[in-house]
Amino acid sequence: MPRHRTPHQPTPDLGALGERVSAARAAVEARGETFYQGASKTFLAGFPPPQRWDDWVELDSRAWPERVEHHSMLVPTTCFNCESACGLLAYVDRETLQVRKFEGNPAHPGSRGRNCAKGPSTINQVTDPDRILYPLRRAGERGEGKWERVSWDEALDALAARLRAAIVEGRHNEIMIHIGRPGEDGFTERVLASWGVDGHNSHTNVCSSGGRTGFQFWTGIDRPSPDHANAKVIYLISSHLETGHYFNPHAQRITEARAKGAKVIVLDTRLSNTATHADYWLSPQPGSEAAINLAVARHIITTGRVNWDFVRDWWNWQEYMEARHPDGPQGFEAFQAALAEEYDGYSFELAAAESGIDAAILAEMAEVVAGAGTAFSCHSWRSAAASNLGGWQVSRTVFFLAALLGAVATPGGTFPNAYNKYVPRPIHTPPHPKVWQELSWPLEFPLAQNELSFLLPHFLKDGRGRLDTYFTRVYNPVWTNPDGLSWMEVLTDTDKVGCYVALTPTWNESAYFADWGLPMGHASERHDTHSYEQYDGQWVGFRQPVLRAARERLGETVTDTREVNPGEVWEENELYIELSWRIDPDGSLGIRRYYESKDRPGEKLTVDEYYGWMFEHSVPGLPEAAAAEGLSALQYMRRYGAFEITKYQGALYAGEVPPAELEDIHVTPTGRVYTAAPKPESDNIGPLGAPPPDDEGRRPVGVLVDGTVRRGFPTPSGRLELYSSTIAAWGWPEHALPGYIRSHVHPDELAPDQMVLLSTFRLPTQIHTRSANSKWLDELSHTNPVWIHPSDAARLGVRRTGDLVRVSTDIGYFVAKAWITEGIRPGVVACSHHMGRWKLTGHDQVSPGGMMATVDLGHGAAGWSMHARKRVGPYSSADPDTRRIWWSDTGVHQNLTMPVHPDPISGMHCWHQAVRVTPARPGDSHGDIAVDTEKSREVYRQWMARTRPAGTYSPDSTRRPAWLMRPLKPAAETFSLPGATGTRR
Amino acid sequence: MTATHALVPATREVGVAAAPGDDAGRWELIRALGALCSVAPPDGWVISDAIGLRPWSRAEHTAVFVLDLPPHASIHLGPEGKLGGDGADRVAGMWRALGLVPPADADHLAALLALYAELGQAGDACQGSDTRRRLDHARHALLAEHLMSWLPGYLAAAGTQHAASGWAALTAAAIRREVDRMGLPGELPAALREAPAPLGAGDGLGELLDALPAPVRTGFVLTQADLVGAGRQIGVGVRRGERRFALRAMLEQDPSATLAWLGAHARRWVSLHRHGTLAGPAQDWWADRAASTSAVLDSLARSVA
Repeated sequence: MPRHRTPHQPTPDLGALGERVSAARAAVEARGETFYQGASKTFLAGFPPPQRWDDWVELDSRAWPERVEHHSMLVPTTCFNCESACGLLAYVDRETLQVRKFEGNPAHPGSRGRNCAKGPSTINQVTDPDRILYPLRRAGERGEGKWERVSWDEALDALAARLRAAIVEGRHNEIMIHIGRPGEDGFTERVLASWGVDGHNSHTNVCSSGGRTGFQFWTGIDRPSPDHANAKVIYLISSHLETGHYFNPHAQRITEARAKGAKVIVLDTRLSNTATHADYWLSPQPGSEAAINLAVARHIITTGRVNWDFVRDWWNWQEYMEARHPDGPQGFEAFQAALAEEYDGYSFELAAAESGIDAAILAEMAEVVAGAGTAFSCHSWRSAAASNLGGWQVSRTVFFLAALLGAVATPGGTFPNAYNKYVPRPIHTPPHPKVWQELSWPLEFPLAQNELSFLLPHFLKDGRGRLDTYFTRVYNPVWTNPDGLSWMEVLTDTDKVGCYVALTPTWNESAYFADWGLPMGHASERHDTHSYEQYDGQWVGFRQPVLRAARERLGETVTDTREVNPGEVWEENELYIELSWRIDPDGSLGIRRYYESKDRPGEKLTVDEYYGWMFEHSVPGLPEAAAAEGLSALQYMRRYGAFEITKYQGALYAGEVPPAELEDIHVTPTGRVYTAAPKPESDNIGPLGAPPPDDEGRRPVGVLVDGTVRRGFPTPSGRLELYSSTIAAWGWPEHALPGYIRSHVHPDELAPDQMVLLSTFRLPTQIHTRSANSKWLDELSHTNPVWIHPSDAARLGVRRTGDLVRVSTDIGYFVAKAWITEGIRPGVVACSHHMGRWKLTGHDQVSPGGMMATVDLGHGAAGWSMHARKRVGPYSSADPDTRRIWWSDTGVHQNLTMPVHPDPISGMHCWHQAVRVTPARPGDSHGDIAVDTEKSREVYRQWMARTRPAGTYSPDSTRRPAWLMRPLKPAAETFSLPGATGTRR
Repeated sequence: MTATHALVPATREVGVAAAPGDDAGRWELIRALGALCSVAPPDGWVISDAIGLRPWSRAEHTAVFVLDLPPHASIHLGPEGKLGGDGADRVAGMWRALGLVPPADADHLAALLALYAELGQAGDACQGSDTRRRLDHARHALLAEHLMSWLPGYLAAAGTQHAASGWAALTAAAIRREVDRMGLPGELPAALREAPAPLGAGDGLGELLDALPAPVRTGFVLTQADLVGAGRQIGVGVRRGERRFALRAMLEQDPSATLAWLGAHARRWVSLHRHGTLAGPAQDWWADRAASTSAVLDSLARSVA
């Protein structure tokens, strides 16, 4: 290549000048000042460079004009306030060794140094004057509010004795650990497995299981991973995920895509934050979303935009033809015609009639979707999928669009989450439990995606079982679930719950009724690993007690996290190791071995060894990256907090199966390939569907596509399942295809004076009760008014924003303030579930103004009533900011007034309520609640009558399709129906 | 806030920690020269002091870098001589190609020089690897495509302004060192290969007024200060307003003298391009364009005389 060179001219000594500038910059920055003032020219935000994380200097702004330096060690950890698991950097003061603040960790691949308000607010939770610092034992009656401080040894010995007795006596099903948002990948499940207990219970069926179900039946994997950053069209059913769940990692990538011209389509009845930024905001009648999706699907089909090559190779269209059109031609052309005919009824006019959105707008939006090609990213999580009878069809029909366009695992498309998630194999893996927990996995719900956790009070009242020892782990079932007063009734009944242990950092509406209150750590006080689908790549994040890591940097040795945490706050990892040793002190129960060191046989496993082994053996590339910096893998993770394993996974389903895995293969007529070769060991143990073997016991290994065996999907057919033989075989053939199920709040189901209450939306600055003990977040969001359209307000006689309204459900009512706004569809009201914290009168262990109302809770012939005696206000504490509380509102705890609505297929609680809204009556006060739990029993029975139990409908005498995902899957033999003699394959 | 580690993730990909290399001063000087035209006094004084340049007053800094010579590539390479458009998109595309999110002012000289320094520093930190090669390649592309396509002319214009002359000379020297080390391809930068048509003899008044403030159309930089000097020299009043408005007023007052002055201005720029301190194929292109403009303007001057 010809090159020009400039003629020689005399130049200043640029080298010397450069050194001089470098020295000047170093001197300025060493003083804690900024050399380059103003916004960075090379990227949005600047971060302290990792090479200076040991001694980062900042000037104390409050000392100005004095120049007071703060020297900090910057220690990474992971936010614990939602499932995003964004990276945090704790600023640990080098003099006091206390955490000064939290900011973003630039080395974290998911969050990339950016956080929402919940991340930095972790410091509020650490310094919360109301947190529980020491183990407590109930001193009076349950719920009386009397406690005594005990030692950890006392607590552990007492609990270990109970648990050991239950295990030895074969009462495994009387042990249950109920977790909220896990924030970790599998540790608790393995604890239960080691105890031989099928006692994992989660909040997922009041959260995301409806959304998961739709994805699972398509792909065999229950979460999507949209590649928003590279999409041309981003399609969001409700903004819920993008303003709440993976808010920060997804929001920043959606922002990038928009800067590159991507279109954002949001279907949300309420004008959410995301909707305000959308190119298309569609406000449908709640529950009509699947009808809209199907109209879009029909448009893609009828306008010739289907990616037929993809469909031919990767859909189980042959199974569909066999099942639905057995007598006609079976070729692909016949399928194309059948598909068009199948969905021909879903016109824009039909969708318009169901949704209330003009057909022309739907058609315009559908054309945008149809033009996206393979760069179509979509997501549906809670909201519509979590709110309606048949809501799971919302996510099934959303993915239908991606599958039609071939936008599956493409740049800008939608991936199965397992492609973008990595769960490292741990040092010990206990076997599957040999018991089945009927209280979580009842026969009525054989296809349920997750535990029927919100029905637990009713099952206990039914006499289906009892719990000897019930743990809640950073979870608040009375507050989070519908029908919370039924929870309170069983938690205060020692015949139903023998011992209730609250593992919690703070007081909450459930912990008041516990027998033991055991303090757990916040984000900077505990160990966990996690990996979430936030872009097309895989990463592992590490949460750690930052003061432990800081002291270790200073050369100290810390072997117990309690040494560095406030008070005697602990973490679950060390707690469960210690508790398991006390349950099985001599190893005779076979439990202790899962908590023993490999390096030091017979000695207790430490968390350093647990995570050190995992990072060294199970995370590809991490040991090498660490070695390049002279670190061990554990040291690297303690140093950086996260590690990116892969990028650009791409279409893993199309990968060729290597010949070594093809041994004595069997190929079905539809191209499913089974092999006798054993499955190669993988260090990634992320959850997937587990399709069954063939009749000879060969495992499914892939599918035959154009003569090549490719990986396919973890579904029974190995392909994307348009037609679910599972749904059909288990009693629901009418819902085997992506379809539209009319919601329980469909207009035809409502009385003339009823409206739909949309109750699931999130405030981006709060997350249930987990974030509620943060003064900054409470200052931002401390009320949850009822959104009501001006036309409805006028019709109902609600005159002004702030007027009180009474919202009546099937089991009671709540009183809230009205917010008159055009941001909600007429005929629908909405109220966020994030507010309404309360404490009982007399519970003086909680500060008098501590960000929750003090309530009187009464019980009479009409049921329960709650009335706020005192709201929040300024109060004295160790934190001077508590004197500055300027608000008094705490909102209303609406979930108490909602009966349970289990979807008969997904098991998801269908949150939407048919309500009557009236102006408040004389004597009503903001936050008042009335509930009749006898009525909630009636509603429970009505919904249970919709189920099709396995005992009647199981095609193979088992409880549930074994291939479906299930947290803590028990051993194969437990799947057989009670009394059945057949063996499950 | 500093920006030294913007590309740290890129270097960490290959397991090499970013650390100051032997050329740390080289990158720092480039970054500092860019920052000076972005950071208003007195915040930038610590930088000018380190470099040894006279500290600018707020008025001087504003006059040069905000009013007369905003240092944006898009102004010099865009068809209308304005911010944004294709000129900015082309630069933003390079950021995206590097996997970076382009900042709002991606085509500002401070951003370009900061990016250049980042690439250089990141390359130093992963010597001998493929990543180093890719980073060097990217830096070379940045130099050839997005700096040498317009910066020599810009610095020549800045060099004529008393307050900025020292900074302009030093920046030109630093860039010349980079050109000497990296070399330049014989091919023109894409922005010049795809440049809009030059001023034509048949263009009407409106087209003439559109083209004159756009360097890529004329081959020269025409500042407000130039127009004030022209007015003084040829005896016409310079009306306050944007350059197009002022030029129209000058042409209405004395078209012949104004066109003649513009023709002479274009010839001065032919010389500036041909004999400037930064040479390269782009400079030949700029000189040719200025010469073409000069011919057109002289012809127009003759036609109205």
